[in-house]
Amino acid sequence: MKKKILVANRGEIAIRLTRAIQELGYEAIAVYETPDEMSRHIRIADEAILLGDGPRCDYLSIEKIIRAAKKSGACAIHPGYGFLAENPFFAKACENNGIIFIGPTSEIILNLGNKVIARKIMAEAGIPMVPGTQNLKQGREGVAEALSFAAKYGYPIMLKATSGGGGRGIRRIETDAEMQEMIPVARAEALAAFNDDSVFLEKVVINPKHVEVQILADSHGHTVHLGTRDCSIQRRNQKLIEIAPSMINNRPLLDEICDTAVKAAKAANYLNAGTVEFLIDKDQNYYFMEINTRVQVEHTVTEMITGIDIVRNQINIAFGKPLSFTQEDVQIRGHAIEVRINAEDPKNDFMPEGGKKVTVYRSTGGFGVRLDGFVYQGYVIPEVYDSLLVKLTVHGFTWEETVGRLKRCLHNFAIRGPKTTIPFYMNIANEKDFVTGNFDTSYIETHPHIFHYDEDASEAGKLARFIAQVHYSRENPFAK
Amino acid sequence: MTRIIQGSPVKDILATLRTAKGYFITNTARDQSQSDFKNRILLHTDLMAAENRDKAGYFSLEITGGASIHVDILRKQVDPFQKLRKLREKMPNTMFQTLCRGVNLFGYRPYPQNIIRFTVREFAKYVDVWRTFDFLNYVPNMHAVFEEVGKAGKLNEPCICFSTGPEHSNEYYVAKAGEIIAVTGRDITLCIKNHGGLGTPKRIGELVDALKQKYADVPIHYHGHNTDGNDVGRIVEAVRNGATIVDAADSSFTGFYGPPPVLTVVQTLKEYGYDPVGLDEEAVIATSEVIRDQRRYYEQFESQIKGFQPTVQIHKLPGGAMGSSLEQAAKGGFLDRMPDILHKELPRVQKELGNYWSVTPGSQILWTTAVANVLGGERYGNPSGDLRNLLLGKYGPFPFYRPEEWIYQKVLGDDWREVLEKEGGVDAVADMDMAHERYALAELLGVEPTDEQLILYLQYPNDAVEFFKFSEKYGQVYVLSPSIFFRKGGYAVGEKITFRDHHGKEHMIEVGPSPVNDSGETSVYFNVDHHPSIFNFKAKTAAGKQGEAPILSKEEILDLAKAGDVRSPFSGKIVEITVDEGQEVLIGDRVAIMEAMKMQTPILAEMGGIVTFINAKKGDSLKPGGKILKIDPNE
Repeated sequence: MKKKILVANRGEIAIRLTRAIQELGYEAIAVYETPDEMSRHIRIADEAILLGDGPRCDYLSIEKIIRAAKKSGACAIHPGYGFLAENPFFAKACENNGIIFIGPTSEIILNLGNKVIARKIMAEAGIPMVPGTQNLKQGREGVAEALSFAAKYGYPIMLKATSGGGGRGIRRIETDAEMQEMIPVARAEALAAFNDDSVFLEKVVINPKHVEVQILADSHGHTVHLGTRDCSIQRRNQKLIEIAPSMINNRPLLDEICDTAVKAAKAANYLNAGTVEFLIDKDQNYYFMEINTRVQVEHTVTEMITGIDIVRNQINIAFGKPLSFTQEDVQIRGHAIEVRINAEDPKNDFMPEGGKKVTVYRSTGGFGVRLDGFVYQGYVIPEVYDSLLVKLTVHGFTWEETVGRLKRCLHNFAIRGPKTTIPFYMNIANEKDFVTGNFDTSYIETHPHIFHYDEDASEAGKLARFIAQVHYSRENPFAK
Repeated sequence: MTRIIQGSPVKDILATLRTAKGYFITNTARDQSQSDFKNRILLHTDLMAAENRDKAGYFSLEITGGASIHVDILRKQVDPFQKLRKLREKMPNTMFQTLCRGVNLFGYRPYPQNIIRFTVREFAKYVDVWRTFDFLNYVPNMHAVFEEVGKAGKLNEPCICFSTGPEHSNEYYVAKAGEIIAVTGRDITLCIKNHGGLGTPKRIGELVDALKQKYADVPIHYHGHNTDGNDVGRIVEAVRNGATIVDAADSSFTGFYGPPPVLTVVQTLKEYGYDPVGLDEEAVIATSEVIRDQRRYYEQFESQIKGFQPTVQIHKLPGGAMGSSLEQAAKGGFLDRMPDILHKELPRVQKELGNYWSVTPGSQILWTTAVANVLGGERYGNPSGDLRNLLLGKYGPFPFYRPEEWIYQKVLGDDWREVLEKEGGVDAVADMDMAHERYALAELLGVEPTDEQLILYLQYPNDAVEFFKFSEKYGQVYVLSPSIFFRKGGYAVGEKITFRDHHGKEHMIEVGPSPVNDSGETSVYFNVDHHPSIFNFKAKTAAGKQGEAPILSKEEILDLAKAGDVRSPFSGKIVEITVDEGQEVLIGDRVAIMEAMKMQTPILAEMGGIVTFINAKKGDSLKPGGKILKIDPNE
């Protein structure tokens, strides 16, 4: 009988995982909540199990998913990203039930998920880090600790929830007064969100580049990196555009960062796929930030430039196989860019277009183009899940070729119904600093004009609007 | 001898001109468009002609400047900089030429020095030959432009504006040339700017000869208009007496008030033993063949009166202003008064106002004054703000003599001596705070403007912003052929429209039905590249909207004004409301300034009292009879 692997996720990543599972000759078991009963990930899976009416709570239910795995006879679970992907209790539950969790062990997730423990491990391994504190003590003592840290390193300072992640539970503090005011607020929020009110501080690196290294580590003692990614183009710590490799024109530095990432992974006894994140300041100093213990949204750019299927390797590693290649076999070829095409209105604070129906959907194709999508013509943007329609990843031999391909592909899309982030990305693809590879995490706020576009009009649409006016007025009213 | 290639250093250009056996031709496409088609020739047509025009080997292509920059953004919705870039792509060899009004740049009033310099610098990136003039031949008005053109390494072509009459002697013009050369040096081409096409061939020949006698090494560029049908004659005499460059245009678009046809000039001069240097006659012919078919789309912009106008020797209106003057007469319903205006009043006004040169903005002042004098009843009874400024010497000193005192009295009032004493003379226009203007534009646009956008905004604040917003909404419409751009009567269902967009991408529109729903809204259905698109248009608003009052007669408007109901006396735009609500005014106080046909006119109170309500605001376009404000009598 074929091995079965349960995909504990939805959306484009569920499809991505299903494809890898099926390519390996295994069967993919989908799970879903009632609002997702029409969804595409169910259609392509070999079997689908309803978890409950949701929304979201069933995808987050360890118990229901373990039960589904047992019921279907799945020997392994892939959590994807989001939902339970970095929940050590879920990994633990898998371990306890004799199900292979495709990812690191629950202990690794627990350690690296706790920012303070992670920092400690890295400090001991000699990994460069942004100055920061341990968990702040409760009450006044903690505030005093915070103020003395601020006195030493100066503002701005990040106040972070120890159990936070993915941009949540982070706030920037500029003054002592704000610090005193915000510590209790942050604690209350962290408690509500992560069931842990610990917080700590980190010095802010001003306008850094966000560079991360993809790691694969098997259970036979091999740890390799797949090069760098630059995810500097972010909005409120949410990544918008990811590219690989980093555009920093300093090969020795990038090599050093990759080696450091491997060292960091080894220090954490890392297993399976992970991402070591760094900040790089203006003077090209780099600082360890965190290790993400999941497959990331932007893994596609690394796959494009290395030709290595990360999800396939995750599954093999989880089944105890050694990596089939060495560090020397990893070759970086060309550049890749990924954009997340969401049904959102960037001009309106990226408000999701939940409830709207995609009346026309035409996608792009051709050389060097990859689509990881969930959307189809007739798809209704869910109000209870995320608004990602499709990830567009383009690959080119040179950066210039890659940007040109990105523009071409964005231009090829025709999506009617909801507003999308396409025109916003189009502006970025035409923006001088992006085109020359000159961007850091301040990019979005320092380039406000990228929000300036006419959403429902391509150049052809605009000209059609003009011709419609001339047609309607029976003469050109602008030429009189 | 070979042609001059764009990008050559000024020294080399002049060396070629000075040693040339034969003469050169400038293709004055811009002046042709302005004089005979109200500046409406689209970039689309110029791009069609570009390849052959480049091959033809002209000294230069005069393609920007004059009124064209304003019309580009106002009526053709094309970016004047973009236009030059697009043409340059297709015309790598030919120098581009502009017509610049000195201190008035491409507008109608003096600009601050910093704006003049900024504008010239940006345009000089694309423009190789700078023909610069001042309508009073007042050389200081051209200094800043000369300097910036020189700094940019481009060719200065200062003009002496030409006219006829006893004052317009060779001595005067040779001295004027000397005054210019004292500023610019001799590495220039000197233009005889005969914007009206005035004088006889003999007169032009004598003038060129006189100039060459004195300044043998300064190449003369003769610019004329064919308004009387005799410019080829003047060109021939100019060349025979030593002119090096002459102006002509493509024959398939020649009309009445613009330049004469290139080929006619070439054929005629050949008989006299003069050959055009580097000119490819086949390419000249081919240009006309390629664009001939496009002319029909521009017919609507041709003059209301067809035929040559030998009477230009009497009224002296420049070719570039003929079309707009006749259009104004047609729109204003006084075409029948034109003989009086053109042949009696204009020459009289011209003489009374100092016999200066009838060219922008001076020609507009003469024209407006003559029209007001004929239609208004009382001569100089309702003087425009610009006439006032002319008398105050704001544009520069009168070249020959000052108008008589009674005119000063009419225009400036009984205390005219005092006014002249206090306000007279050229003002040093204060530099504009560029950073502030840039900020203001950024606020209006929502994005940081480019330098080019800022320049257009500084020249024409309202129209530039409207143009930027238009482009945002309707895209780069310059790609549309005149058959689409000037389409009349709409399209039939099933018609297919094809065009190539700014990025070079082909598109197709299939026209669907245009049903009207119950509330009067029209939905236009198009299939754009096979995607169904709907464009909705709200029902046209009924009359009665503010500023759209029914047309009243001049008498009715005056009667209302005397009762305190101030209405617009003509079709025009509010430049400024000069009073506030609650303010007390006396009869004769200025309450607003309006602008029509580029000229400003003050609106005066016909009744004293308190301003109780202001209907119109700055920038409003009013029809005759449109409400401006209300004055109630003092209790």
